[in-house]
Amino acid sequence: MILVYAALVTISVLLTVQSAHVLYMMLYTWDQPKAEKRARAPERFLPPQYSFSVLLPARHEEDVIQTTIDRVVHADYPTELLQVFVICSVDDTGTIAEAREKIDELRRAGLRNVDVVVFDDKPVNKPHGLNAALPHTSHDVVTIFDAEDDIHPAIFNLVNTIMVDDGVNVVQAGVQLMNFQSRWYSALNVLEYFFWFKSRLHYHAHYGSVPLGGNTVFFKRDLLVRLGGWDDRNLTEDADIGLRLSGMGERVRVVYDDRYVTKEETPPTLGQFIKQRTRWSQGFMQTLSKGTWKQMPTRQQRWLAFYVLAFPHGQALLGFYLLFSVGMILVLKVPVVIALVSYLPVLLLTAHFLTAVAGLYEFTEAHGLEASPKAVLRMAIAWYPYQILLAYAAVRAMRRQLLGRHDWEKTQHVGAHRIQPGKSDSHAV
Amino acid sequence: MPYDQEPPQLATVHGRAPAATARRPVRTMSVSRGRFPPLRRSGRIALVFALATGFLTHGYHLFKYPLYLTDEGIYMQRAWAVVRETSLSPYTYDYDHAPGGWLTLAGWAFPLPRQFETFGNAINTGRFLMLLVHIATVYLLFEITRRLSGRVLAASVAAFLYNVSPLAIYFQRQVLLDNLMMFWALLSVFVLLRRECRIKHALAAGLAFGIALITKENAVFFVPTCAYLLHRRIRDSAPKRFAQTLWPFALMAPVGAYVTYAMLKSELIPSGLNFNLENPPADHVSLLYTLWWQINRSQGTLLTSDGLLFASWLPKDGILLLAGVIAMVIALYWGARDRDRNLGFLVAGTLALAYAFYLIRGSVVLDFYVAPLIPLLAMNVGMVTGRLLRRTPSMVRMGLPGLAGAVLLLAPATGYLLTINTEGRVEIADQYNPRLNLTGMQEKQIAWIRKNVPPDAKIIMDDDLWSELHDVKPFYPLAHSHWNAASDPDVRDKLFGKKWKNIDYIIMSNKMRESIAENNAGGQEDWILAALKNSEKVWETSQGDIKLEIYRVK
Repeated sequence: MILVYAALVTISVLLTVQSAHVLYMMLYTWDQPKAEKRARAPERFLPPQYSFSVLLPARHEEDVIQTTIDRVVHADYPTELLQVFVICSVDDTGTIAEAREKIDELRRAGLRNVDVVVFDDKPVNKPHGLNAALPHTSHDVVTIFDAEDDIHPAIFNLVNTIMVDDGVNVVQAGVQLMNFQSRWYSALNVLEYFFWFKSRLHYHAHYGSVPLGGNTVFFKRDLLVRLGGWDDRNLTEDADIGLRLSGMGERVRVVYDDRYVTKEETPPTLGQFIKQRTRWSQGFMQTLSKGTWKQMPTRQQRWLAFYVLAFPHGQALLGFYLLFSVGMILVLKVPVVIALVSYLPVLLLTAHFLTAVAGLYEFTEAHGLEASPKAVLRMAIAWYPYQILLAYAAVRAMRRQLLGRHDWEKTQHVGAHRIQPGKSDSHAV
Repeated sequence: MPYDQEPPQLATVHGRAPAATARRPVRTMSVSRGRFPPLRRSGRIALVFALATGFLTHGYHLFKYPLYLTDEGIYMQRAWAVVRETSLSPYTYDYDHAPGGWLTLAGWAFPLPRQFETFGNAINTGRFLMLLVHIATVYLLFEITRRLSGRVLAASVAAFLYNVSPLAIYFQRQVLLDNLMMFWALLSVFVLLRRECRIKHALAAGLAFGIALITKENAVFFVPTCAYLLHRRIRDSAPKRFAQTLWPFALMAPVGAYVTYAMLKSELIPSGLNFNLENPPADHVSLLYTLWWQINRSQGTLLTSDGLLFASWLPKDGILLLAGVIAMVIALYWGARDRDRNLGFLVAGTLALAYAFYLIRGSVVLDFYVAPLIPLLAMNVGMVTGRLLRRTPSMVRMGLPGLAGAVLLLAPATGYLLTINTEGRVEIADQYNPRLNLTGMQEKQIAWIRKNVPPDAKIIMDDDLWSELHDVKPFYPLAHSHWNAASDPDVRDKLFGKKWKNIDYIIMSNKMRESIAENNAGGQEDWILAALKNSEKVWETSQGDIKLEIYRVK
């Protein structure tokens, strides 16, 4: 019995410490005025100096691709300094047709800086598409947007200014899910992005160990070429390339300003959500076992990279523990002191929830939306199932990893973040 | 910001810096913005002086005066139970107080080389912690007063009064939950007065306050002021939402642990939801029932001529009490008149007012309940003094408080350093008088017991001796306080069978007879009084109005 007590106390303390650390990272920029200052966008833009090649990997994105192309080419940046590539596999005829239709329309309007890159080899996934398009690019900076992204028109001015001012070769700008009321899990998913891009990523950047996001990320082209592009067998090629760059000592500038975030949507169905989360978890597992992070120069960088990449493993175990803990509450009789210690993670879980509630109000205020007590109640009800959901996805990823299944489970996009006229004007152009 | 909002303008060149202003704007002191004057050399000297004074006035004669109190014994007894028995009390813990205080005492004693006996006996060991707590509290009081007022003079006056007040010395040398609670409460205020009030500070302040609450529940009266101070510190800051969410969370965390403890022991609610004060539930103790009982207790004797104010507190230090109340009223007036500029006065005034309200509201008040009020009154006196003297020449500003301090120390009528004894002669005040060794009487009492009473004797006593008889060999495992003998079924019924003939010895502490009488409303101490009638006095000692005795039951 003593062993059970010892295990219970050890797990509780470890979970508490880990949870407190995550909370610290979630609130990093709010709590550190210097970090908040570093995260801010410049208030004045410099004249365009860098040219941009925009990569738009798309698969079965017939519904959204035209709008996305339109947004990019009409950004507030000189047309001659922008080139856009829609990337499709040869079998995705629907998206190719939609993209070509848009391109024709733009050409009629005198805009000739958009093209489609079609690849016909395997694997059919995002990093392979990016690698296929990279040789076609010719501008100074290569950037990626996802097919459903709503980019801010000033994003290129913003990045141009940062690259000139800070002299950095890599910039990660903010990405934000918007439709926090669509599904029961949407608010929690939205807040994950909010805390990740607005705070936690800045912590990683500060310590030089940055798992980059999949879009609204900007690289100097020559750096990408030197790096050999993306790892096309990796399901989170973005995190992988970020850690490889960090390992090279490349400084990454993270900027999150509510005004300039790229807006996205939460997965439209639970199944899609699980698939997306499974892919991310498995990608982290792949990157962990690949071991590139071990080549990072400092112990702190390596530890932070390991910490992030190993997290899905922990999450999977946590899933079992969450279920086990419910059983323990009902069955196991332990001394009061041990029971009190085992409640510590619950305390931290409460702190996380309260932080999420405050975050919801921060998020909605920043984007001209409105949070309501009903939304908070929904969040409260969804809180525990959501943790189980994340754990389930991690377990699923672990299973796929063990079975050697590395195929890309694509997330469907329906444009829920693109509000129809007459509805909220939160991000109307 | 929506996309249709005006984006930043393109600049052809980096924007020109605005023309340098001729003069840097003067940054006025502001509590809400965290603009506090830096602690310069003179301030640091004043602080060190305050700490050293506190060490001397509270440390000198610490183990000899005042007499060991029943409550000191209870808290050390419970700390002993934490260390030796991993429980909150050697008897049934009835939730009379939250356990933060004796958990702290246990945490202090546990790593010491001889644990509870390191400083001679358990209460001395607790008293040494009180000395350390006093010094830490002096630092907090000094810095809080300085930050709230912007003046070192105010901080120095507050710390001086807090260090030398006979009322403070009397109660703050004793092992009392109130002293520990006040340390945590002031720590919480201090954290809120950091230059930057960030999320981690709100969390730390909340946690410190939560510990204050589970050390002694009357800290709850400070909540409105602390919440208001937090609000004023963060209302224009970026992390406002997180700070105002996590402060109450952190505050509730220790309280939640306490409630969870009761829940896990199935002692949160009384059986059958019985909150009847006339007929308490008998099968198990309950946190909520005890809380309900405490809320409904009333006494209302504080302000009567024989109440504590006139009988105990004013004779010990009427000067601080009177000056403190006047200063509190002035601080409240200034603070309420201009909440923006006089936030510091509002905070100091409302802290003192809230606690004064707690004391006079009519519930049960014990002698030592005044302890937390002392630093708050000192704070108000310091702040008002600082404000009143702010425009006077430096000679007056330094000289006048210095003169007042000298008078306080040297005038025998004040009792600060000197006093007039019963024979009309001037002598050193009791708290420093080397000839006055009150606790020595209790040590002699213990020595007599060890020499003349067998360890298996069934003893009724007061709690001040409990740790000594249970922690030092030979142990007296059957020695129990009259409180427990009268109310704890395990002691009353199982050990003594509620029969006076089962008692071997009664060890009387000072005023124990009065306590027995006060606690005998329901006749629960009758059988002990019967034993007293049927006993012979075998030992006694007295000094002034203090009388210690030992009776052997026939």
